[in-house]
Amino acid sequence: MPLGSVLFAFAVGAIICAVTGANPIDAYSGLICGGFGIACTQGENPALQVSNTIVFLTPLITTGVAVALPFRAGLFNIGAEGQLLAGSVACTAIGVKFGNLPSPILLPMVLLGGMAAGALWAGIAGVLKATVGAHEVVTTIMLNYVAQWLVRFLIIGGPLQLGPGTSKSLPIGEGARLATILPADNSLIIFGLPASVFRVHTGLLIALAAAAAFAFLLWRTSFGYEIRAVGQSQKAARYAGVSVRRTIILTMLIAGAFSGLAGAVQIAGVDHNLTDKYFSDTTGFDAIAVALLGLGSAVGIVLASLLFGALHSGGAIMQSDAGISSNLVLVLQALILFSIAANFVGAIRRGLPFGRKATPDLPPELPPAAGLMSDATAPPPESS
Amino acid sequence: MGHKRLRFLGVVAAAMVFALACGGTTGGGTPTKTYKIGLVTDVGGLNDKSFNHLADVGLEKAKTDFKIQGDVKESKSGDEYVPNLTDFATKGYDLVIGVGFLMQEAVGTVSGQFPNVHFAIIDGAGTDAKGNDLKHSNVVSLFFKEQDAGAMVGVIAGWMEKNGKAKKNKHVIGAVGGVSIPPVNHYIAGYKWAAKMEDSSIDVKVGYSNNFTDPAKCKGVAQSQINAGADILFQVAGGCGLGVLQAAGQASVYSIGVDADQKDADPSVIASALKKVDVATYTAIKNIVNNQFTSGALTFSIANEGAGYAVDNLDLPAELKAELDKIQGQIKAGTLIPPADIP
Repeated sequence: MPLGSVLFAFAVGAIICAVTGANPIDAYSGLICGGFGIACTQGENPALQVSNTIVFLTPLITTGVAVALPFRAGLFNIGAEGQLLAGSVACTAIGVKFGNLPSPILLPMVLLGGMAAGALWAGIAGVLKATVGAHEVVTTIMLNYVAQWLVRFLIIGGPLQLGPGTSKSLPIGEGARLATILPADNSLIIFGLPASVFRVHTGLLIALAAAAAFAFLLWRTSFGYEIRAVGQSQKAARYAGVSVRRTIILTMLIAGAFSGLAGAVQIAGVDHNLTDKYFSDTTGFDAIAVALLGLGSAVGIVLASLLFGALHSGGAIMQSDAGISSNLVLVLQALILFSIAANFVGAIRRGLPFGRKATPDLPPELPPAAGLMSDATAPPPESS
Repeated sequence: MGHKRLRFLGVVAAAMVFALACGGTTGGGTPTKTYKIGLVTDVGGLNDKSFNHLADVGLEKAKTDFKIQGDVKESKSGDEYVPNLTDFATKGYDLVIGVGFLMQEAVGTVSGQFPNVHFAIIDGAGTDAKGNDLKHSNVVSLFFKEQDAGAMVGVIAGWMEKNGKAKKNKHVIGAVGGVSIPPVNHYIAGYKWAAKMEDSSIDVKVGYSNNFTDPAKCKGVAQSQINAGADILFQVAGGCGLGVLQAAGQASVYSIGVDADQKDADPSVIASALKKVDVATYTAIKNIVNNQFTSGALTFSIANEGAGYAVDNLDLPAELKAELDKIQGQIKAGTLIPPADIP
């Protein structure tokens, strides 16, 4: 199903290309070159393209997990972006304030600080959901705005601002930075380029560990079982003695910690300071597509992140090599999401007219995205 | 489903191994007679009606005049600055141009990695994370004498007040800056200086919104200046300044745009102070083609037609036009020098 959605999107994208007078083969070979470093025709460095793709996909894995986990509990976490920003703010604040501490102390501090801030941010939505029944879709969207404007305030005129007229923070201390996988050395030549251009950093390992932790939590712990039980049916879970409120709050806290970790890793691994580019960051929104495309499974999320990272990295190459606006990438991403949501491919396979089924049959391992439409909106009355 | 996923994973893994294995085989190309110029926009994109658009205009003009290959990469988000600059650099481009101060750090990083590639940056320098100029020998900063452009619109404002052509004629005008930083204050310095030169009894109100993006903030500052009698307002606050133009329109007074020609932003705009980013971009390319690249800073002013003004939604009286030509000629000749600091 997800592979079919991707193929569907690329097929429609090819038609759009052809109709607008561009050559779809050129477009897609540019995308493949930019994303995976293969079939490059214009002298792109393949290793550099792979490196860029990995840099882009790293935060998508962790935020993808942060969307997928609440999905399993029937919660729709639209707030991964806000939680990511909270994590990057905490990482920056700690990394600047305690910039002189050595790495073994400071690095865990900034990463845990980011996780705590993300957990706090998502926890607000979790507590509101569990206590007064405020819908998590609404609260997490609103918290995204709060986080975005908070970042703006902090680095423009606020306490983290580098200086008048700037829109960025001080850089975090050396000890707060994640190492790059290749040495950050301008004079060392690797793969024909200065080693420092390869920005792949050890945050990739953290992201993969996060995906593994997500799978372990969900399938190998009793709490994971409770999450899935609540996602399948709150009533049945309650009947079985699961505290729905506790599960909702804890799930959101953990999801927020994942997102916050993504933000902290992005600061510690790539950017080293909080800048105006975080105003227009969309990682936490792309994560929703990643979680859906990955069917909410750890392996699926990693693969979907790879696809989206490659699209991000490939768009610029497609634009310069094939002369096709990199906006096509956004169209492709939207088409992928759209075809998953509309379940076109399943309908085609069954030979049914579109939209005949009133409720889309989500794959069995993906529980209620339906959290949106289910009775989950009502505050869960706790059995006492 | 499981085996499909595995197969996909296998293909991807094979692709990445292949890519890494082949990494060493390609490298920077050698420049030929056709110079390769790469332009990287900031997140504003090519249709921003301002810096990015003008930089592209300069590139297109250079394409018709010189034997160059010019390519543009639009940055969709801030995290694309480094990859976009790096891609041009790895492909052996002769000049990579970054548009705008948002790219300072990215240009600083990439120019350090590719000392054999030339870089130009509009309105900024190649800096480290703390904003210090790294002074790389392969980077040229394209700066502007904003005070020249400010002086020309200051002449318009001062002359109109003196000759009773403004709306209230209380000899009060205003300027709304974004933040009190050098480029903003250069504009205001030229404006105030020239207005006083034209009309010695003029009162120039100067205010700051402490913001470059939120029109509401600038609108507030503009309204307080209008309440104090100002009837010509000069905005020097980017997107925030659109609020100045709107406030002037609503109060039926005049306004003056900044950076690019803002004629269409509001009917109240009678003139715009211009930074000619197209001229700067064209000049940077010309220097590469003529093998005259110099690092450091190039400054664009009225003297080299890199700064100026546009007349917008008002027919200027012939006398004022003559005055503008006279002052422009004197600034160009160096007999009149607008100050960089607010007098």
